[in-house]
Amino acid sequence: MALSLVTAAVLLSSCDLGGLSPIFPTPVSPNGQHIYDTYIGISIPAIIIFVAVEIALLWVVLRYRRSRQPVGYVPPQIHGHTGLEVVWTVIPLIVVLAIAYYSYLTLEKDFQPITGEQMLVTVSGHQFGWDYAYQGTEVVVHQEGTLAGDVTPFVVPVNTLVKLQFQGTDVIHSWWVPAISGKTDAVPGYDNYSWLKISQPGTWRGECAELCGAGHSNMQIIVQAIDQASYDQWMAKQVAGLHPTPSPKASPSPSPSASPR
Amino acid sequence: MAATTVLPRPKAYDDSFFKPISLWLTTTDHKLIGIMYMVTGILSFVLAGIFALVIRLQLSAPNLSVVDHEAYNQLISAHGVTMIFFFVTIFLTGIANYMVPIMIGARDMAFPRVNLLGFWLVPVSILLYYMGFFTGGALNAGWTGYAPLTEKAYQSHSLGVDFWALSLIVWAISGIMASTNFLTTIVALRAPGMWLTRLPLFVWAQISTSILLLIVGAPLAAAMILVEFDRQLGTQFFTTQGRPVLYQHLFWFFGHPEVYIMILPGFGMISEIIPVFARKMIFGYMTMVGALFGIVFLSMTVWAHHMFTVGMNIYVETFFMIMTMLIAVPTGIKFFNWIATTWWGSVEFTVPMKFAWGFLATFLIGGITGVYLASVPVDTQLHQSYYVVAHLHYVLFGGSVFTIFAGIYYWFPKITGRMLNRTLGEWNFWTLFIGFNGTFLIMHTLGLEGMPRRIATYANPAWATTNMIITVSSFLIAFSVLLFLINIVRSWNGGEIAGDDPWHGNTLEWATASPPPPYNFERVPPVRSFMPLRDLHDAEQLAKTAKPEPVKA
Repeated sequence: MALSLVTAAVLLSSCDLGGLSPIFPTPVSPNGQHIYDTYIGISIPAIIIFVAVEIALLWVVLRYRRSRQPVGYVPPQIHGHTGLEVVWTVIPLIVVLAIAYYSYLTLEKDFQPITGEQMLVTVSGHQFGWDYAYQGTEVVVHQEGTLAGDVTPFVVPVNTLVKLQFQGTDVIHSWWVPAISGKTDAVPGYDNYSWLKISQPGTWRGECAELCGAGHSNMQIIVQAIDQASYDQWMAKQVAGLHPTPSPKASPSPSPSASPR
Repeated sequence: MAATTVLPRPKAYDDSFFKPISLWLTTTDHKLIGIMYMVTGILSFVLAGIFALVIRLQLSAPNLSVVDHEAYNQLISAHGVTMIFFFVTIFLTGIANYMVPIMIGARDMAFPRVNLLGFWLVPVSILLYYMGFFTGGALNAGWTGYAPLTEKAYQSHSLGVDFWALSLIVWAISGIMASTNFLTTIVALRAPGMWLTRLPLFVWAQISTSILLLIVGAPLAAAMILVEFDRQLGTQFFTTQGRPVLYQHLFWFFGHPEVYIMILPGFGMISEIIPVFARKMIFGYMTMVGALFGIVFLSMTVWAHHMFTVGMNIYVETFFMIMTMLIAVPTGIKFFNWIATTWWGSVEFTVPMKFAWGFLATFLIGGITGVYLASVPVDTQLHQSYYVVAHLHYVLFGGSVFTIFAGIYYWFPKITGRMLNRTLGEWNFWTLFIGFNGTFLIMHTLGLEGMPRRIATYANPAWATTNMIITVSSFLIAFSVLLFLINIVRSWNGGEIAGDDPWHGNTLEWATASPPPPYNFERVPPVRSFMPLRDLHDAEQLAKTAKPEPVKA
């Protein structure tokens, strides 16, 4: 029943938006939330300026059209007005500098390679899919693309700060899950970084955002966030899958920590 | 008595469109070359528009395969390359080629034969690009052609990338020729009295455009030459083992100023059209010129805002973010000055004026979404999504194409001697305005919801309705362009005779015949301000009303 409720909620949220949402999907990671807030912040001056200028344009159409002016009306010839022009130079200047400063604060907070992560995953893009190597283990999730999007999910625990290290192996790809955060390019030749810290269990979809060849639209992404206990179980299963136990008696340690010599 | 009788103008020249092909092939007349540029541009527009319709059919519903993915990638690339390189830039070069010499009172361009060569390189460039389709597949990496997708390792089967690179090298050479020619013409061949401070704003716009193309044409050619080195000589500039991001820097150092190369002449045309139909002089002439050069300077310092997701240092990103946002300032100045020009005016909403106003209403949206995209954090969400597709069409279609239509409706009477049909023109405007906004306004929301650009198809059912609305609206645009083509052909053959100055213009092109004779002017009128023709009209008006006074000793 809980499942059907969740399904209904997902259906509803996708239905009432119907492809016409004026905003990103509700973010589930703090960096996504900060982008969301910046977007809202920019929208305030943007909407005011948009409405004001469109009203001015409409006012000219309604008021200053020739049919609304007296017959034989000769408009005043005005060369310009330094004061006015200074005003509409300085006001936009202040507005855009304020937007730039506001954006810079978000940039400084979220867009530098982080330290102190609880998990490091190397995400490498190839034509046409993603490999997620969980550093510290030998587990690699292969997410081979299909258009239908029924790809193997990239599993992360909730409320865990996961550092993502992006690598390109052939052409440039771009990893994008709108509900988590912005996109990060996987470029051959150097590492690129992002991070996520998902606040609730669930499944989020994304796609490769950089044209990478004929299979570009197949490069679907699924990120699945589960609670820590389920994640530990999942991880144990993955590790077990990597090392099929040769005999029931032997139990190879999955721990990567090397004993000091 | 003989002096007052208006004699029929002697047919000293042939003003019909149907001239012998040998004349079209060999002419160095800037007007005929201008017409050839413009016709080439319009044909490219129609062709690239057909590509767009196929793209929209493919995306009209989930999981369609009107064309396969490889063909789709070739179509989007051809749509972008054709619209940007072979339609907008070429058409604007054509209209400037026609108008600039006349507006400054010159007889022809400074280097007529360079002009001839510069034009004929354009069909060479177009043919080179389209050769790709007959040699195993044209460019399939988008109009930007990012390496390493264009490298031999991922394109072994086709020569499309090679033809694209060669085509753009030829195109850049042609553009550099045209720019040099414009600058020399404007510097050296101005009529007596046509000081730099009296140049029409369209001519100023052409100066700024030419400076830009002169500077950034060479980096484009350089990028293409390096791509060819990689592909044909085995170098490793942009390959998977090389530095793919270097390609993006080189390409966008050309690519972003190219955006302004495509809009500044449009700004110029709007600055000509609005004062004429508002019956007021342009508000703040010198500020308008200053704003043009502000944009020229800033546009060369913003290129990396196309690359905010490649992983640059955040301080570098901040620099490019601030410079990008600063462009809103000179653009805003131009916007407010255009509106101020019409304030207290007597605005006649003819078809060119409607297009000018449609341009202001839509370009505003493109400008504002540009500020969102300039913000680095927000851009990481919006980059490479349908939001960007919507934004770039608001500035390129709502901007450049609307100004081009305004310019065509404004100057067609001068070029052909006949008016474009007004009823068809009104239909053309309204269907285009509605179709354009129906297509591109809701595209913003698709991008916000996570639809990446350049995907050949999608499975998400939530995007289906929006995409269907977009496809239907795009066919309304096609219908509108069809009306436009019908109007051009009909009016050129049998439109109302325009006369020399149907709009009561301000600038010199309206002082000569329509169409102008090969030598442009029998006698260049005196130039005493940036509106020489307005001065003449005012003087005539004064002579009619004022009583002749006896000369005092």
